[in-house]
Amino acid sequence: MGKRGVWKLGAAMLAVMMVFALGCAKKQAVKSSETAGAPSAAPSGQQPPGGIVSEPVKPESPAAGKQMAAAEAGAAVTKEMPSAFADIHFDFDKSFIREDARPVLSQVADYLKKNKGAKLQIEGHCDERGTAEYNMALGDRRAESARAYLASLGVPASALSTVSFGKEKPVDPGHNDAAWAKNRRAHFVLK
Amino acid sequence: MKRTCLSLLLALAVVLAPRAGGAILYIDINAPGGKRMPVALPDLVTASGDPSLSAAVPKVIADDLRMTSLFEVLPPASYLERILPAHFAGKPLSFPDWKMIGAEAVVIGKTEARGDQVAVEMRLYDSTLGNMMAGKRYVGPAKSYRTIAHRFANEILYAFTGVRGIFDTEIAFTATPKGGRGKEIYVVGLDGQEIRKVTDNRSFNLFPRWSPDGNQLAFTSFKTGVPAIYLRNLQNGSERPVVKFGNTKTPGSFTPAGNALFVSVSTGGNSEIYRVHIDGSRPEKIMGGWGILVSPSVSPDGKKIAFVSNRGGAPQVYVRDLGGGKELRISHAGGYSTSPSWSPAGDRIAFTSQSGGRFSIYTVKPDGSDQQLLASADGDCSDPSFSPDGRYLVYTFQKKGYSELKIISADGRWGKSLLSGLGGLGSPAWSPRR
Repeated sequence: MGKRGVWKLGAAMLAVMMVFALGCAKKQAVKSSETAGAPSAAPSGQQPPGGIVSEPVKPESPAAGKQMAAAEAGAAVTKEMPSAFADIHFDFDKSFIREDARPVLSQVADYLKKNKGAKLQIEGHCDERGTAEYNMALGDRRAESARAYLASLGVPASALSTVSFGKEKPVDPGHNDAAWAKNRRAHFVLK
Repeated sequence: MKRTCLSLLLALAVVLAPRAGGAILYIDINAPGGKRMPVALPDLVTASGDPSLSAAVPKVIADDLRMTSLFEVLPPASYLERILPAHFAGKPLSFPDWKMIGAEAVVIGKTEARGDQVAVEMRLYDSTLGNMMAGKRYVGPAKSYRTIAHRFANEILYAFTGVRGIFDTEIAFTATPKGGRGKEIYVVGLDGQEIRKVTDNRSFNLFPRWSPDGNQLAFTSFKTGVPAIYLRNLQNGSERPVVKFGNTKTPGSFTPAGNALFVSVSTGGNSEIYRVHIDGSRPEKIMGGWGILVSPSVSPDGKKIAFVSNRGGAPQVYVRDLGGGKELRISHAGGYSTSPSWSPAGDRIAFTSQSGGRFSIYTVKPDGSDQQLLASADGDCSDPSFSPDGRYLVYTFQKKGYSELKIISADGRWGKSLLSGLGGLGSPAWSPRR
């Protein structure tokens, strides 16, 4: 068989191959036939290496954006819930209860002791500086600090819960000392 | 059926066996700064179908090769020979014409439509020896031509260096959707193209982490109002909670085998580090007690973790031997150091540190020696994540509400912007190899 014959055979085989590729490629995977090349990451028999994930490329369309904004209004977790109490604030990278937070906490404690059955969620927040993960833990610590203080004032543990939003929900969108000071806070939400 | 198809494909692949064998390593990938390999990348031959792929595929390959700083793509205007369909049916290239313009290698290709699929044949020739160094034929949906181009760029790098490329890897990250207020998780290609949304639940979805096979992402979601760590299968979109105990929780990294996850979980204000099986069972506390312990990043051999602790008064990065329990502080850059990322190559750990009022990215050896400043700018650089070959990092740049994802080579000599234009860009995580 001459060179040309080999190529004709190759072409015929490729045609067969493509039929197979079309037949099996329900997942729209890129299949490749190789002559030489880098070893593949995935062992054979599994998903074809780098198989194209079933999620299509979806560039943001204006319509999708609108839909999202409309749905946003109902999503409690991404909105600051109004509070009957003032926020208390913290120093940078700190979670101890400052002197200026005590009157607010006393007021919160008095309310919860008078209104048996009321439930309070304490949200811990941070300013935008630093990394998101560490701030998530720091916000948790701030909320916990407020919870422990309220408990020490006689609020039953069953009335209190905490959640940290880290630096994800700034109340002041600014990027300066004043905004950061406002955003390092514990926020109280009656449930 | 699938297995039968695959073996048939493999059997047929023999047809395209290279004419000249023997791998010759042309470029030492560990010796940057040398002469760049001049490569010609002419437009592909369009046998049938979309003619725009003819120029689009070489452009993607050229951009990939530039990222390595090892190649020089010669300007197409200088090319003397036109590529013809016959070049894919036995007609040799006129190699002296390519040598004359300085091309040490030529990459040619041919596209053919097959319904909504496209067949792309790519060949890499050594223009001195006249042999084919690599050749591949890809069949896939036409819209995935970029992936095909990235894959062949991987082949080119492999043919020249013996090191597998990473051009078809991806970056997961978080951003605020347009008009939205929460954060969703997205995935983007290394060229900043083909963005796709992974989560879409309009709450906070944070801290994406890839499984070692690249098929799953672990992340924290507030979608029920209470944060939990979820595992999402990227192939079929299924999602299930893995860690529901405790209060605040963030995924750190998968174990190298992929069967467990290091996470941080807080109870009573103390954030502690656990190892949890990926089905959510057998949570085992690795480190606990007073203070904040977060961001566990496991070494490639699975024997150590880097993590953040604030027990010394401010957050710093430590390395802990999982067997013996020995701990060593490795960050000595500033008063606030977080977000360690252990290089898959094993030799370095990157982290974020604040000094002089800004956050910058440093790298250090796992024993704490040889600390180097890698990325610093007028603004904050944070959240480094290494590429699977350890040669690049992706990180977040932020300044007064503006955010951008950037890529830098691990030696700091090369960098580019990956993505901007979405709000609140952050937590980039580089996928493993495909």
